[in-house]
This record gives sequence, structure tokens and C-alpha cells, in this order.
Amino acid sequence: MTKILIDCDPGHDDAIAILFAARRCELVGITTVHGNASLANTTRNALAVCALAGLDTKVAQGCAAPLVSPAVHAPDIHGRTGLDGATMPAPTREPIATHAIDFILEQAERHKGELVLAVIGPETNVAAALRREPKLATWLKAITIMGGSTTIGNITPAAEFNIYADPEAAAVVFASGVPIWMVGYNVTRQTGFGQADIDRMRNSASRTAKTIADLMQFYLDGQRRVFGLDIAPMHDVCAIFPFVAPELITYVETSVDVELTGTYTRGMTICDLRGKRATGAGAIRDAARPNAKVAISSNARALIDQVVEAIVAYP
Amino acid sequence: MSRLFVVNQSSRAGMTKILIDCDPGHDDAVAILYAARHLDLVGITTVFGNASVENTTRNALAICELVGLDVPVAKGFAGPFVGGEPPFAAAAHGKTGMDGAELPEPTRKIIDAHATEFIIETARAHQGELVLAIIGAQTNVAVALRLEPRLRQWLRAITIMGGTAGVGNVTPTACINVYSDPEAAHVVFSSGVPIDWIGYETTRTVLMGAGDVARLRAGGKVARAIGDLVEFYRQNYIRIYGIDGAPMHDSCAIIPFVRSDLMRHVPVALRVELAPGAARGMTLVDRRGIQPGVTLPPPRTPLPANVGMAVDVEIRGVIDALVDTLLTYD
Repeated sequence: MTKILIDCDPGHDDAIAILFAARRCELVGITTVHGNASLANTTRNALAVCALAGLDTKVAQGCAAPLVSPAVHAPDIHGRTGLDGATMPAPTREPIATHAIDFILEQAERHKGELVLAVIGPETNVAAALRREPKLATWLKAITIMGGSTTIGNITPAAEFNIYADPEAAAVVFASGVPIWMVGYNVTRQTGFGQADIDRMRNSASRTAKTIADLMQFYLDGQRRVFGLDIAPMHDVCAIFPFVAPELITYVETSVDVELTGTYTRGMTICDLRGKRATGAGAIRDAARPNAKVAISSNARALIDQVVEAIVAYP
Repeated sequence: MSRLFVVNQSSRAGMTKILIDCDPGHDDAVAILYAARHLDLVGITTVFGNASVENTTRNALAICELVGLDVPVAKGFAGPFVGGEPPFAAAAHGKTGMDGAELPEPTRKIIDAHATEFIIETARAHQGELVLAIIGAQTNVAVALRLEPRLRQWLRAITIMGGTAGVGNVTPTACINVYSDPEAAHVVFSSGVPIDWIGYETTRTVLMGAGDVARLRAGGKVARAIGDLVEFYRQNYIRIYGIDGAPMHDSCAIIPFVRSDLMRHVPVALRVELAPGAARGMTLVDRRGIQPGVTLPPPRTPLPANVGMAVDVEIRGVIDALVDTLLTYD
């Protein structure tokens, strides 16, 4: 099983990613970051998810704000606590004393060449870790990102929330040289729980799954209200699939550029999808060097079925 | 499927008046010839873009010469409003901007007026009636809007081919018509004039294929010449993009005023990115699908709609309408 460390901001879809990875990967740790809610909330939520499912995975608290810009949160989508919709158990422990940045470095060095870093919130911790220790880029096997989009955004017309919340950090990560898988909003907005999936979790024998069903119902109701979607997109778990069932997502290897200065496009991931181009073509700007495998489509039903199976297997 | 509308050329009373601002350009040529058959084409203005304005102007005159079209042609701007070396689309269109066919040497001359003046005067003369088609860089029209504040009330509508809601051509996110002069595009898109818009991500699928070229080349002198142009363009698209077809980008901006059954338009918010980063020249379209009545705080707040974006294009219907029209010239 792939060794994976999840850097996250729970978050409804983060919770699903944690539970899925704990079953299907060797989850060496969880680090938290500001994002869907404040760092205090995302950290508490991560610990509450662990308490719910009986996970003893270490949780290390990270950065409370982006590298440069002011923090931005998503109460309209995730509620005031970042994980509204269910009565979650109280955390049974504290985060470890080590800061997330140092924990990432420690785990990457211990599992040199083997550790996949799943970044499913704003990328502040990872960018800071790369700057703190440049060797991190050679220690990591890969970084798999839920973030960005090849088409539309969500928080702004052009930008997806995770990248928008800390574009400077995302730019550092995409320029790091680490092999990167990017699963963006273009795919994840079509990959989620329908009402039938939520009902299946609620009607299962799993106590964990029933609580998850409450959370997902809250999330689905919000997605319907705001975007007119009839699924609750499970953005974050999609980023785990490259290392669990890679055949369920198709990718294009290309260049991704994080836009930092645009009036309307700050936080956008500019993915070059122009395909074949002749060289020496005059006005046409040549392609830059590829730096990521960018998700283009998913077998959503097969992917979600695997996720539901993992959730209902919890006690 | 209804075929070509037969138009009595001698009487254009009641037909929509249209002025085409363009940079011929293979697809511009087809658009001009289509408009001249079905609408009251009151003039052509030229701009830099597919080639220098000298070339695009000569190409516009050559198209008129080919079919004996007697409309005023006014030359416009040689470069973008803010400056910088204009990028010419030599790869797709060739050195002259319209390579590929033997075209007659123009006998007609351009009129004295600058394109910008001609746009203003024509709109003034036909207040409330004139549709302005912009199918190249938007420099002429942006300057006209600034020169004459009443222009925005005089125009009935603007129809634009330029920009993209998806993949770009000259950069990953920008189409050359807007990238050539993003400031001008911003002025036009924010002018308040009713705008119909179609982007490159859609027009690049509206293709004339080998079969359509064969139909043209089996026709008379005019059709054969256009067939040669289209075939040159198609070969370039195969070579550069791996797309087997000549995209009829510009005609898509004209078709709605003749055949309302071949596409429809939905209101969207479109903004031009002017900042000097990798997204410069992008036409950002808000397609998040935020439900009506939902209020969201910044930065999520939906932007007000300002254009009608073309959707559900009947590609074969459009291509057949164009080929049928071109064949009527002989």
C-alpha cells in the first residue's frame, strides 16, 4: 500500500478522503491548515473525524494563514465550523507537539522516495516545508493535489478554492520539481455522492457511516442550493485515487501555471490543453515544460462506489 | 432542414444593416461573402491581426473584387491601442494573411475616412439599426466608442467573434483576436451595447471538411477560389492543431442574424483580463452555475451578465448554409 500523508482542512470532502486513505493506503499522518475554516476548526475537525472512526493517526497542526494574502474561508459551503451537519464526537486527543511543517519533513525523510503527500487544502504548509528544507523535493515520491481546475472555478469564475486561498504557496509547489498529480474542480465537481449514496451510508450497519451521511446531506443540500448540482462533489478523495486505483481517472501531462496577478484570474491554474502545435508558428506561444499530470475525466460511479464501500466498512 | 434563404439582391429594404470590422483572413472572407448575400452590408472596416493592416485591407478589397461587391472599405488601425508589437497569425493564415488562392488584383480603392470615423458616421446615419460585427482585433471599435460617446446608443447590437470560454490558441487561455488588443476588447465588452458573442472554443469545432471543399471546387470561379482558400486554411489546421477542418470562426458571428435556428445565446458575465500575467487577454466567462437569487459574499459574488454567449451551435447546418451561399455567387 502507498505511504501517504494528508495535508488538509476538514472540510466535508477532506473527512471522506481521510477515511478512504486510512483504509486503502498506509496513512502515516495528517497535517492541518487554514482553509475551509480557521486552523483551530480544521484541526479540531480532523481530530473529531479520527475519533469518529477510531483512527489513531497522528495529527499535526500547521499554518493559520496563507503565505501572503489574508485568510479566506468557506462557511457558505462547509458551515461555520467547517464541518457542519452532524454531531461529531469530541476529539479524544490533542494534535502532536510538532508543527505540521516539521512533521512533513520528518516523515518524508524517514520514508525517503516512498511517501506521497496528498495536499487537499490550501498549500501553505507544503510550500513552507519546501522552502524550509529544499531536499524535501527529492525525498517525496509524489505530491497529489486536489486543487485548481482546467475549466471553471468555484470561489471565483476562474479559480478553485484551495489554490485561490494561497496562490503563492501553490506556485511554489508547482515549481518544486516533485512529480505532481493535479485533480482539479473540472473533474471533482462531477464526482460525488448522489442522494442514493448518502442513503446507502445512512442505512448501513456502520455507526461511522451514519454520521458521515448526516455530514454529506448538509453538504449536498448546500451544493444544490448554490450551484444547482444534484451531487455532493467529493473533491478531496479524488486526489487519493492516483495511488489507489489510477485507472479511474484520465490525465494529460502538461504545464500548469498558477496566476498570481490577474484582476479576475488570481488563483487560477492555467493548464495548457492546446494539444498539438507546430513549432516556429509565429504568433502562437509555445508550450512550456510539463510539470504535472492533470486530471481530465473520471469514472465517477466506479470511484464513488469504492469510496462508499470504504466508509460503510468502518464500525 | 431548410436550405438557403433566397434573397432578392436588388431590394434590401427591411434587411438588417451590418458593418463588418475584420482582418481577412480566410474565415473573414467567408463571413463577408455570407453577409453580403443575406444582409444589407453597408461597409467593411479593416484592422491588423491575421496580417498587417496593409495586407488585411488588400485582402478585403480582393474579396470584393472577386465577387463584384461594391461596398465602402475603410482602413483602420495597424496595431493595438496600448502598443507593442502586434502578433500576426502567419502560421494559420500565411504571409499575406489570406494565402492559398489566385485572387484578382483590386481595382477598387479604400475610402478616405479612417475605419473609426466610418464606423461612427455609419452608425449615426442608421441610428438604432446598425449591427456591428467585430471579427478581428477590436481596436477600431474601442477607439470609436471613446471618440463618440453616443455611439453606444446608436448601435443596435455588436456581434463578436473573439476570445474563448475554454482553450486558447495564441496562449493557453487567450484567442488571438482579444490577445492582440485586450484593452480594446475590454472597452467593447464593457460598453453597454447589446452584444452577441461566440468564442474560439466553440468556433474551432465549426469545420469545413474535405467534402465541403470538394463541393466548392466543383463550383464556378468564385466558389473555386474560396475552395482553394478554405483548403489552405484546413491544411494549416491539420499541421498546427491536428484538427481536420477549416474552422469558420467569423461566420458564426454573422449566422445568428440570418438563421436564428442554428444557435442560441444565453446571458453570461464576460470580463477581459488585462493584468500582465499568463492570463492576459483571457475572456473570463462566469459559468459556475450559481443559482439565481443566491447571494454570496465576495469573492464568490456572481458578476453581472453583459453578453449573450452562443451555445448549441448546429454545426452541419452552419456549414451547409455557408457552402450553399458561396455557390450562389457563380
